Amino acid sequence: MQPHTSPSNVDPVHLELDQLNPHTQLPTTPVSRCLDALLQRTGEAVSWVWVLLMAVIILNVFMRYALGEGRIEFEELQWHLYAIGWLLALSYCFAADDHVRVDLLHHRFSLRTQAWVELFGILFLLLPFIGTVLWYAIPFISYSWQTSEVSGDPGGLPYRWLIKSVLFAGFFLLALATVSRLSRVIALLFPARRLATSTAARV
Amino acid sequence: MEINEILACTMFATFIGLLFSGFPVAWVMGGVAILFGILAMAADHWLDAFIGIDWNYVSIIVPRMWDVMTNWVLVALPMFVFMGLMLDRSGVAEDLMTNLARLFGRVRGGLAVTVTFVGLLLAASTGIIGASVVLLAVLGVPLMLREGYSKELACGTVCSTGTLGILIPPSIMLVMMGDRIGLSVGDLFLGALFPGLLLAALYVAYILTLGFLRPASAPVPDDAERVSPRILLDVLLAVLPTAGLILAVLGSIFFGIATPTEASGVGALGATLLALSKKRLSLQVLKEVGRETSKSTAFIFALLLGATGFSLVLRGLGGDELIESALTGLPFGPTGILICILAVTFVLGFFLDWIELTLIILPLVAPVVSGLGFDLVWFTVLFAVCLQTSFLTPPVGFALFYLKGVAPAGVQLGNIYRGVMPFILIQLLGLSIVFYWQGIVTWLPSAAYTP
Repeated sequence: MQPHTSPSNVDPVHLELDQLNPHTQLPTTPVSRCLDALLQRTGEAVSWVWVLLMAVIILNVFMRYALGEGRIEFEELQWHLYAIGWLLALSYCFAADDHVRVDLLHHRFSLRTQAWVELFGILFLLLPFIGTVLWYAIPFISYSWQTSEVSGDPGGLPYRWLIKSVLFAGFFLLALATVSRLSRVIALLFPARRLATSTAARV
Repeated sequence: MEINEILACTMFATFIGLLFSGFPVAWVMGGVAILFGILAMAADHWLDAFIGIDWNYVSIIVPRMWDVMTNWVLVALPMFVFMGLMLDRSGVAEDLMTNLARLFGRVRGGLAVTVTFVGLLLAASTGIIGASVVLLAVLGVPLMLREGYSKELACGTVCSTGTLGILIPPSIMLVMMGDRIGLSVGDLFLGALFPGLLLAALYVAYILTLGFLRPASAPVPDDAERVSPRILLDVLLAVLPTAGLILAVLGSIFFGIATPTEASGVGALGATLLALSKKRLSLQVLKEVGRETSKSTAFIFALLLGATGFSLVLRGLGGDELIESALTGLPFGPTGILICILAVTFVLGFFLDWIELTLIILPLVAPVVSGLGFDLVWFTVLFAVCLQTSFLTPPVGFALFYLKGVAPAGVQLGNIYRGVMPFILIQLLGLSIVFYWQGIVTWLPSAAYTP
C-alpha cells in the first residue's frame, strides 16, 4: 500500500484495511520478487479499466437519452471491460495477499504453521483448481476461434475468442502468482536447500 | 444413505473444516470442488456408485465462468465499489460529521444520532463490512468518548450502523443476491429500503431514549451552539450532494429510467465529481481508487468463481435435492422451516462473510422457500437483515473485531460486547417486524415502475 504523502489534502481518516488483516510474513525469493513486480504492474495498469468502464456506461446512457439510440456494442463493451478488469486483477489481489480468509484461528498460528497451511492449500486446492480451468479453457477458446464466433446480437462485437481468452490469461497470471507464493513458502519451510544452493553459488 | 449423499455431506463438512485453516475461502471452494469431483469419479469406478460425474461434467466449470464474464447485471458491482471508495476519499464523511454534530449538538445522544445518520448516508460506500465500521469508528468513537459518552453506547452505535450498509441500497450484496437467485436487482434495492430505514429509526429511538433515561451515558456538551439558520444551511450544503447522489441512483432505478448497471456508472461518476468539487480528486487518488476497486472486485469474483465450481459439483452429487428434502422433511410448517433457515444463516454468519453465504447457501435454500409459497424478495431481505445481525453478535461477529482493531486504547472487547447487546435486540425487533409485516418490503417494488 502506498502511504498517503500529502497530509493536507488527502482524507485524513482514510484507512487501509490491510492493517487489520495481518498477512503471513513470508520471505521473498528472486522468483517471487520478479513475478510479483510483474503482476503488480499488470494489476496497476488494468485498474484503469474501471475509469474506462465508467466512461463507456456514461456515454451509452448519454447516447440513449440525448440521441435516442442505445448501442448494443457499447453494452457489450461494458461487460468485456468488466470481465477483463476482475479476471486480470485476480492475480494482483493474490500477489497482495488480499483474498478473504477466515481469520478466526489463522492469525494465532505460528508463522511456520501458516506456511504449512499455504503449502498444502496451494498444492491440493488452488493448483488443481487453476489447472482444471486452464485445461478446459483451451478447447473452449479454440472452438470459438475455429468457428469464428461473434456476438449473437445484431451490432454486437466480433472476435468472441479474444474475450474468452481473457479467462485463460487471468488464470495463467493467477498460476504465476501461485508459483511466486509457493517459492516463498518453500524458502521459509525448507531453508536448508536454499542455503545449500546459495553456498554452492558462492563457492 | 447413498454414496453420493455421503459424499455431498462430506464435501460440505470438508469445506467448513478447511475454512478454519485460514486458506483463502475462494480457493478452498474451488479446490474442494475439484477434489470431490475426482472422489465421485473414483466412487463410480470402484464402488459402482452411479453418480455420473466425469471430467466432462467438471469441465462445465469453464462455460459457467463464461456466464459470469458475460453477466451484464454484475457489471454494477465494481462500479458501486468504485463509487463507495471514491466517496470515502472525497472527504464527505468528515463534512457530514462536523455539520450534523452541530445540528444535533444540543440533543442528548446527538453525537450518536449523528453517527447513525452519517452511516446511513455513507451506506453506499460499503458492502465490504470492514470499510464502513472502520470509517465510522475512526470518525465517531474518539469524538463521542471525548464528549463523555459511555464506551458501550459509542461502540454499539458504530457497529450497528456500520453493518447496516450491507442492507441499505445501493448495496453490492443485494446486486449479488439478485443475480444469484434470479431476482430483479431494482426490486431488491427498493424492497430493502424501508427495512433499512426502519432499523436506522429504531437505533435513533433507542439512543434518544437512553440519553433521556441515563443522561450520564450521553452528555450534552456545555458549549453546544443553538441551532441557527446558519447551521441549517451548512448542514443542508453538506448533506445535499451525498444524499442527492444516492437518491439519484435509487430514483433512476425506481422510475425505470436506468438499469442498476447504468445507475452504478452514473453513481461512480457522481462520486468522482463530488471529490473533484471538494478538491480531493487528483490523478493519484484516481489511481488508488482504481487499484482498490480492482482488489475488492477481484476477491469478490474469486469467491464467485470458487462457488461456481463448488455448487456445480455439489449439484452433481445430488446435494441440492438432499438439502431440499432435508428442509421440507422438517417437522414444522412453512413458517417453521423458514425460521430454521434463518437460524442456520445466523449461525453461519459467525464464520462466513455475506459473499460466501450469498453464493452457496442462498441459491440452495431459495428454491425451497419459493416452493413453500413465500415471496423471494421478502425472504432475501430477511436473509440480509439476519446476516447483518449475525455480524454484530458476540463472540465472533465481524464488525466487533474490525471495531476493536481501530478503537482508541481503553476500549475493551467487553465494552464492545456489552455495547452491541441492545442493538442486537433492536435487530431482532426489526427482523420480527419485517417477518410479520411483509408489506414493508413488498410495497415499494410493487409501486415502482408504474407511471
